[in-house]
Amino acid sequence: MSPMLTINNLSVSVEGKPILNGLTLEVGAGEVHAIMGPNGSGKSTLAHVLAGRPGYEVTSGSVTYEGRDLLAMAPQERAREGVFLGFQYPVEIPGVNNVYLLKAAVNAARKQRSLAEVDAFDFLGLVRDKMRLMHMEDSFLSRGVNEGFSGGEKKRNEILQMLVLEPKLAILDETDSGLDIDALKVVAAGVNSLRAPQRSFVLVTHYQRLLEYVVPDFVHVLVRGRIARSGDKSLAVELERRGYDWVSGEAA
Amino acid sequence: MTAALTSQLAEDLAHAAQSLPQTPLRRAAIARLSAQGLPNARDENWKYANLRPLERQKFAPAQAERGAVVLLPPVASGARYVFFDGRFAPSVSSPGRDAAVRFTPLALAPPSAAAHTARRPDERFALLNEAFATDGAALQAPAQHHANETIELLFYATAPGESGASYPRIELALEAGARLTLIERHVSAWADDSFVNSAVSVTLGRGAQLEHYRLQELGARAVLFDTLEAELDADACYRLIGISTGARAARTTLDVRLAGERASLGMAIAGLGDGQQVQDAFARVEHLAPNARTEQTFRGIAAGRARVAFNGKVVVARHAAGTDSRQSLRGLLAGPEAEIDVRPQLEIYTDDVRCSHGATAGKLDDNMLFYLLSRGIDPDTAQRLLKWAFLGDVLAQIALPEARRAVEKRLADVLQDATIKELM
Repeated sequence: MSPMLTINNLSVSVEGKPILNGLTLEVGAGEVHAIMGPNGSGKSTLAHVLAGRPGYEVTSGSVTYEGRDLLAMAPQERAREGVFLGFQYPVEIPGVNNVYLLKAAVNAARKQRSLAEVDAFDFLGLVRDKMRLMHMEDSFLSRGVNEGFSGGEKKRNEILQMLVLEPKLAILDETDSGLDIDALKVVAAGVNSLRAPQRSFVLVTHYQRLLEYVVPDFVHVLVRGRIARSGDKSLAVELERRGYDWVSGEAA
Repeated sequence: MTAALTSQLAEDLAHAAQSLPQTPLRRAAIARLSAQGLPNARDENWKYANLRPLERQKFAPAQAERGAVVLLPPVASGARYVFFDGRFAPSVSSPGRDAAVRFTPLALAPPSAAAHTARRPDERFALLNEAFATDGAALQAPAQHHANETIELLFYATAPGESGASYPRIELALEAGARLTLIERHVSAWADDSFVNSAVSVTLGRGAQLEHYRLQELGARAVLFDTLEAELDADACYRLIGISTGARAARTTLDVRLAGERASLGMAIAGLGDGQQVQDAFARVEHLAPNARTEQTFRGIAAGRARVAFNGKVVVARHAAGTDSRQSLRGLLAGPEAEIDVRPQLEIYTDDVRCSHGATAGKLDDNMLFYLLSRGIDPDTAQRLLKWAFLGDVLAQIALPEARRAVEKRLADVLQDATIKELM
């Protein structure tokens, strides 16, 4: 069976400056991959390019998602086809209601599959269930998207959206950053609740901490825009102990 | 003013002096307008307005309405008075049940000149209205009366510009402690290039409360010059919500005087322009007594090649200690050739005031847009959603649910958005 996501020799520049330099990675269905690396190694760029954020120039290589050219798809199309990006810095959108966004997002994906829109009442029940899992208060429902949320609330909201959307490929960009240990556990529980044989995760993280709670199948270390080393979860532990200089030095 | 405009105005004013009923108000207006003329683009407070339509305009009032107009449904239940080109149409109006609130057509009860002696240079279009208006609405609520229904004044522009101008006029007075909700709506009967010059005067007695919705929904070829002046006595509260979406060129001049202690003004204005539209508003708010309060919100969206402008001037007089004034003026550029001009101005002649203002003009936020796209929302919907959200600070101030629905429906039409309706 072909992998869910195949990144082949991908090079990406931002404003003429190369950030990714021939990155190759395969993510099979049901797998959890952690992408680690020092600041500036290209982790977030990878996440954004996969989600289709404008401003990134792909200079070579390809990305195939479920047999399709992912890079040729518009961001909204990727989302409807099951690609989800959990933002490192979730955006506040005052005036756009949280539940409205959730519902619009779910309906956009359903429309893609020629399914009818969700029933508003059932949907609200589903959202409430997921909110309990994420320890979120009811007042969230009536608020604007991320409006006035604390850092931790924003991250939990990202995971809530993921739980409701049930993507096939979830890319979580530093979802653990800025979380205290309790919030980290809640976020990890949310992610773990969604793990399934047909669902894959790419966890972009600077620290090994999250990986204690969401145990990855593979760990990759990104250095200067390419994968310098891959291994299993023990690689993350070793990185924590020896620091990124250890891999960076080797890759030089 | 160009020579052509000057001579047209002089000719029409001479005509008004001969053929229209001569009230003291009209005589005074004709005299002053003859001396002062109309504003031009060199006047500081008029540089964003589109004054070109004045050049070929006949200012004499348009004659009889043409054809039968299919009336819009009322915004809310209550009394409704309908006007065609500023003239009261009793046969299609429905007086309310609240007899204490007195409505009188101005044709029967011409206003006195006494109340209108303090015209500023920026109010010259109100003089134009006074020189030519032959009818309008006088509304009066007696002391301590809380009106139990809303009053809607629906103004239709029916005449094409070449046949003359339309002069809607409102004189509203709430005596001490009275309360009223007023909906003032301006629409076009046909797709004509009507010339509309409206003038509104509001007087709020001690502790009176007025909630005033102004919905400007004129047709795409219409031209509007609009002047509103208001004076608030002590403890009076005026909530003025203006939603300006229509007309090819619209200019609104607002002049509010907080003359009594602790008077309170909430002014929330939204202006939307697309194509070649010009939406220009100038608001002058004067704090003349201590401890009065102003909260001013403007949200403007300019798409296409439209220009949307709001100039908000707050003057705090020497005796107005304890003034609390807040201005939040924001414009959204929704097209590469669109123009936004937002300008807060403060003139303070006393200490012990609290005045804040913020003004921004910018495009839709790319981060917000991408966030919505990344959730599967298509780009058109995402843009409209963000425009809608941008207007939220104004919409939130619409207390009357029926007015809110009417405004939301209109905005959804203007923003061409069906999905927006889901938000309601």
